[in-house]
Amino acid sequence: MIRTSGVRFRTTLVTVIVAVVSIACEAKRDAADGVEHDDFDAPLPVTRAERIVSLSPATTELLYTLGVGERLVGRTTWDVFPPEVMRVPDVGDGIDPNVEAILAVRPDLVVLYASGSNRDEAAALTRAGVPVVALRTDLVAEFFRAVRILGHLTGTSEAARLIADTVATSLDSVRRRTASLERPTVFLPSWITPLLTIGAGSYLTELVAIAGARNIYDDHQAPSPQISIEDVIRRDPDYVLAAPNRAELLRTDPGWSVIRAIREGHVLVFDTTLVGRPSVRMGEAALSLARLFHPDVIR
Amino acid sequence: MRPARWLALGGALLASAVVGLLLGAVPLSPIDVLEGLRAGGDPAVDAIVRDVRLPRVVLAVVVGAALGLSGAALQGALRNPLAEPYLLGVSGGAAVGAVASLALGIRHPGAVSIAAFAGAAIAVVAVLGITRSVGGRGDPRVLLMAGVVLGAFANAAILVILAEVPADTVRGALWWMMGSLSGGGWSEVRWLGVWLLIAGGWLIHSARDIDLLALGGDSAAALGIDPEAVGRRVYLLASFLAAASVAAAGLIGFAALIVPHVARGVVAGGHRPRILASGLLGASLLVLADVVARSARAPTELPLGAVTALVGVPFFFALLKRLAR
Repeated sequence: MIRTSGVRFRTTLVTVIVAVVSIACEAKRDAADGVEHDDFDAPLPVTRAERIVSLSPATTELLYTLGVGERLVGRTTWDVFPPEVMRVPDVGDGIDPNVEAILAVRPDLVVLYASGSNRDEAAALTRAGVPVVALRTDLVAEFFRAVRILGHLTGTSEAARLIADTVATSLDSVRRRTASLERPTVFLPSWITPLLTIGAGSYLTELVAIAGARNIYDDHQAPSPQISIEDVIRRDPDYVLAAPNRAELLRTDPGWSVIRAIREGHVLVFDTTLVGRPSVRMGEAALSLARLFHPDVIR
Repeated sequence: MRPARWLALGGALLASAVVGLLLGAVPLSPIDVLEGLRAGGDPAVDAIVRDVRLPRVVLAVVVGAALGLSGAALQGALRNPLAEPYLLGVSGGAAVGAVASLALGIRHPGAVSIAAFAGAAIAVVAVLGITRSVGGRGDPRVLLMAGVVLGAFANAAILVILAEVPADTVRGALWWMMGSLSGGGWSEVRWLGVWLLIAGGWLIHSARDIDLLALGGDSAAALGIDPEAVGRRVYLLASFLAAASVAAAGLIGFAALIVPHVARGVVAGGHRPRILASGLLGASLLVLADVVARSARAPTELPLGAVTALVGVPFFFALLKRLAR
């Protein structure tokens, strides 16, 4: 209780300072204060967070960036970056994770990906007395929110602020450089059968916009909507942007030449490790995309 | 034989094909579609009509015809109104092949098709092998049960494989298992068309033998045919035809089950007209079902197998009522 009221007192104090100094400038420095719930609308847990299980590649990478990677005691099979993470025990999947395997490493914080199908596991871990925080990192804003919350929970709010500021600044600088440029349209296929693309619900659509282009499916709210190839032909993108292996398939399979951009060789290949998930390297990722879209202007 | 009914069946197929060309994810006027077919207009429209819709409608015709022929022949040869390739384990085997290849990281649609066909072929041969090993030669009920059990085993195998793969692979595998023509093009049309001509032609040729089987084993034997050999031949031909359609379009349930029953209502006579009519009807049904799949929630596509099942299940209940009477 004392601890909680202490947090509340600090919250109030920070709020007052923010109001007095400058709202625009200080709002970003607000740490987890102001964020009271995770993305399952559960109150943020109170924990020392010395033994952390992180169940998504984005939050795992983020914890390393915050300088608390050595506190990780569990990760998913798919969390392979940074390389040091490989020494952390693999507890299986991040979607429908194995509760027993997580409990076995005795965590005092479990960072879950806030997918609907993870609600049962979050409830089970909470019942077992393990503090849980569920985070979504599909959008840039959600990533910043995750930075604040994880900074707060691991006692690294200072580092979190610095990271958030740096990423925001680097994204702003790319945005400024591309602001006055012509905006080509881009199609981002994320799966072939069924044909899935990236929609407005994904940070990739935002990164493409910051990099000075427009995702032709930015009017679809889902992170990865399924679409028909007829509709792609009608929207007639200037470029197709894909991961290396998929780009190879698009270029070589004759069926794809129905899309003008592919027929004319306008297939752009992104760097999977850089652009593949929202991370503190998003500024660098946006810049790499800007170079692809505007090779003559941005080098 | 009434020519008017055959004209109606042909007309229905033609009309379905026209609807299939006119409707799709992108609204196009009939004039646009005509211009597109002649490749004279807007290049985007040309591409949509000639390179997307036309091969897709033709593939729907070929897949539908394959399923219709296959279902009619199996129902006749096994003397069971519920017999269809999927019930006989073909779908299960194909799905194991496709899902296993996706789980191994194979992404090329052609390679997935080959794996599906291989899986189906193994299942077909295994069902026949089980039937023989338990001494159920010539008894269609044993073949049917072997198929059902193998299908259940295949489902279990798929669940085990899917538990091991990342979420996006699961989505790809499920989509494949729900059936779709979205990945299809002229190359699928070509090889499935060849299969259809060979296996379908042979099945139609075997129709008289199937008629004799319907008289019962002893009568058939007295008339000079080997019931077991005929049953096995029809089973293999029909199953491989269905397997090829699965390889091209994934699992599309109910079409092969329903179509022969409708065909029986349209054309009288023995198995030859019934099998032929089932081919025509199956083609029309699949073209129309694919129109619904493409345009009902455009630009998102619905899985084709889900559309045929939504239509098929109420129909199936009606059929059950008639059979129970």
